[in-house]
Amino acid sequence: MSNNFSLNRLSIQQRLTLLICTLLLSAIVIYGFANYYSLKKASLTIASDRIGLLTTQISTMFGQSAQAVTKLEYATATQNSVVQCVKSGGKDFRKEALAELDKLHTDSTWVSIELLDQNLVPVLRSDKALVNVNVDTKAVLAFTHVGPDSSKVGKIYKVGDSMYYPVIATVVDKGRTIGYVMCWQMLRVAPKAVAQFTQLIGTGTRLYIANTDGSLWTNLIKPVAAPFKINSMGEPIEYTGPDGLMIAKVQPVPNTGWLTAIAFSEQNILEGVNSFMKWILIFGLLLTAIGIFAAWAMSRNITRPLSQLTRAAKAVSQGNYSSPKFIDVNRNDELGELAIAFNIMTAEVHHTWQNLDNKVKERTLQLERVNKELEAFSYSVSHDLRTPLRAVSGYSIMLKEDYEDKLDAEGKRIIGNIISNARMMGKLIDDLLAFSRLGKKELTSTKVDMQLLAISVVNELLQENLEKDYKINIGILPPIEADPGMVKQVLMNLLSNAIKYSSKKAEPEIEIGSEDEETRTIYYVKDNGVGFDMAYAGKLFGVFQRLHSQEEFEGTGVGLALVKRIIDKHNGEVWADGKENIGAAFYFSLPKKTIV
Amino acid sequence: MNDDRVEILLVEDNPHDAEMTIRALKKSNLANRLIHVKDGAEALDFIFSRGVFSERSTDNKPKVILLDIKMPKVDGIEVLRQIKSNENTKTIPVVIMTSSKEEQDIITSYNLGVNSYVVKPVDFEGFAKAVSELGFYWLITNQYTD
Repeated sequence: MSNNFSLNRLSIQQRLTLLICTLLLSAIVIYGFANYYSLKKASLTIASDRIGLLTTQISTMFGQSAQAVTKLEYATATQNSVVQCVKSGGKDFRKEALAELDKLHTDSTWVSIELLDQNLVPVLRSDKALVNVNVDTKAVLAFTHVGPDSSKVGKIYKVGDSMYYPVIATVVDKGRTIGYVMCWQMLRVAPKAVAQFTQLIGTGTRLYIANTDGSLWTNLIKPVAAPFKINSMGEPIEYTGPDGLMIAKVQPVPNTGWLTAIAFSEQNILEGVNSFMKWILIFGLLLTAIGIFAAWAMSRNITRPLSQLTRAAKAVSQGNYSSPKFIDVNRNDELGELAIAFNIMTAEVHHTWQNLDNKVKERTLQLERVNKELEAFSYSVSHDLRTPLRAVSGYSIMLKEDYEDKLDAEGKRIIGNIISNARMMGKLIDDLLAFSRLGKKELTSTKVDMQLLAISVVNELLQENLEKDYKINIGILPPIEADPGMVKQVLMNLLSNAIKYSSKKAEPEIEIGSEDEETRTIYYVKDNGVGFDMAYAGKLFGVFQRLHSQEEFEGTGVGLALVKRIIDKHNGEVWADGKENIGAAFYFSLPKKTIV
Repeated sequence: MNDDRVEILLVEDNPHDAEMTIRALKKSNLANRLIHVKDGAEALDFIFSRGVFSERSTDNKPKVILLDIKMPKVDGIEVLRQIKSNENTKTIPVVIMTSSKEEQDIITSYNLGVNSYVVKPVDFEGFAKAVSELGFYWLITNQYTD
């Protein structure tokens, strides 16, 4: 894994905290968003329903007042004086008809009240309303189709800064339209009233009245640009206004060419939802913080005894058995059980260690005592045995020197045997001492040039054995880390053996060589001498073990034992290969890295 | 040169070793002025002219002392220590002759200033050879200056 961050690197405490923190955060996020969306939807639905209701109510309200006005005007249009006046082209009943028209002027919003004939020529005009609304009457009637015996409110027209709408009623004579009562009413609502009204239906809400053909839009104070396109009635319409996203509903006003529209800002509706979300977030963060702290405390509760255990286990693993560290974990859960088990184990280890330690100390003392005895023994051998032996040897020689002429042949033979045996015993003692002293000797390790060493040993030995022409072959001998004095002793013993045991051959041949292995180097000394029976190969390296008699070949039987002891000390191996009367090969291996 | 002058002081408790040493030295004509004492205490008496040797002049120093190590009463190491720590006697050559090949004995002897250390060979021929070589070296080759 090339990834630098890995969960495995975190401690249990960190991991637990992270896990709990993640769980808490995701729970809060999921809960928060789910609630947010359902609340938002509910809020929007409620708001939408509310404005639907409001638009319906307001259109109904407007429709009812329009109906009242049209009823009034229809009543005027059906007055006999009005009918007769139109019929006569304004000649008859003029005064009565005018009185009827004047009655329509109930307030100042009625700006124009006229009686038209069927060609739309004014026949009579109320003096109370004197504003001339400059709108093409023909177009008005074309749009607001008023059938016989009916009355209608037309669409709103903008004249200058003011807005007017027509209220038209037909004048009928014998089922035929002969003229119209044509009134203009001003659309005027006080801004304060509008503000109060919008406040009532909700802050940020807008109320519009518009013509159904979309030709004019007003906020009841002044004409305004169309805020949106009308696609359908009753269905919510979404559009983007100056205050952001808006939702609107539209309803036609009955008996008129109008419609009402109420729009509300989504932001206002969602204000509550957003503040809910804000609180959820604050609450969530707070909860997470508490969660992190709780998780940290909880995992600490778990990991503290664990790290206590780890410390104690480390102390034991580092070999501190002498002063056991018991863990004080006072709890009843799994960790408590683990701690108890650990403490029992530590006590057991400590106990075992103490036993072992005592045993080792006891054995060491015993060994030291035995070693001291051995040392005393070897000193005694070296000093006390040598002295009488020297006397035996010395007096025999003195006897031989001083009384040789008085001894017969048998006496001379006997004295000769005493002398040679004393010499042999001296050699045995010296070899034995060398062998036992080796056990005490410390190894020193340096790089030994085996090639040079072999050459010098061969030369040294050939000096002592001049009586025969030995053919000695020295192959390539790689250097090795070893104790130079001891390795010299090994080569000396093996080579002198090779010379000794091949001395009776006509053409004695000796070969020294090596084999290289991965971890060790094997050196060997081969000769074409008397060899040995492989059946006795196991005895070769024992102390005082000999395969030949003293008459055949002189020797003490210590040489090969010494070789084995030296190579053992170097962590090497010794072995031999031989065949009777053919020759022998002695091998020893030394590790390439000597552990001293 | 004084005729009484002792040339070799042999300190040896073992009579056989002493006999053989004297015989070897005699063969080489080196035993003419040899004194043999049987332990360290006697040796010290002789060297420092005490006890039975109180009549002796301390100026009459031996040319060489052949000293055994393992002896009753006072051992050779102690004798060596006293000889080498005395201004008067420290110039006398001392040769340790012992059966012991113990490294500790050898190291102690050299630390105390022994002039030679010889391990007595077990066989008589070797022993005789070693003794006569020693005698020649210390009595003839190495001239003793007073």
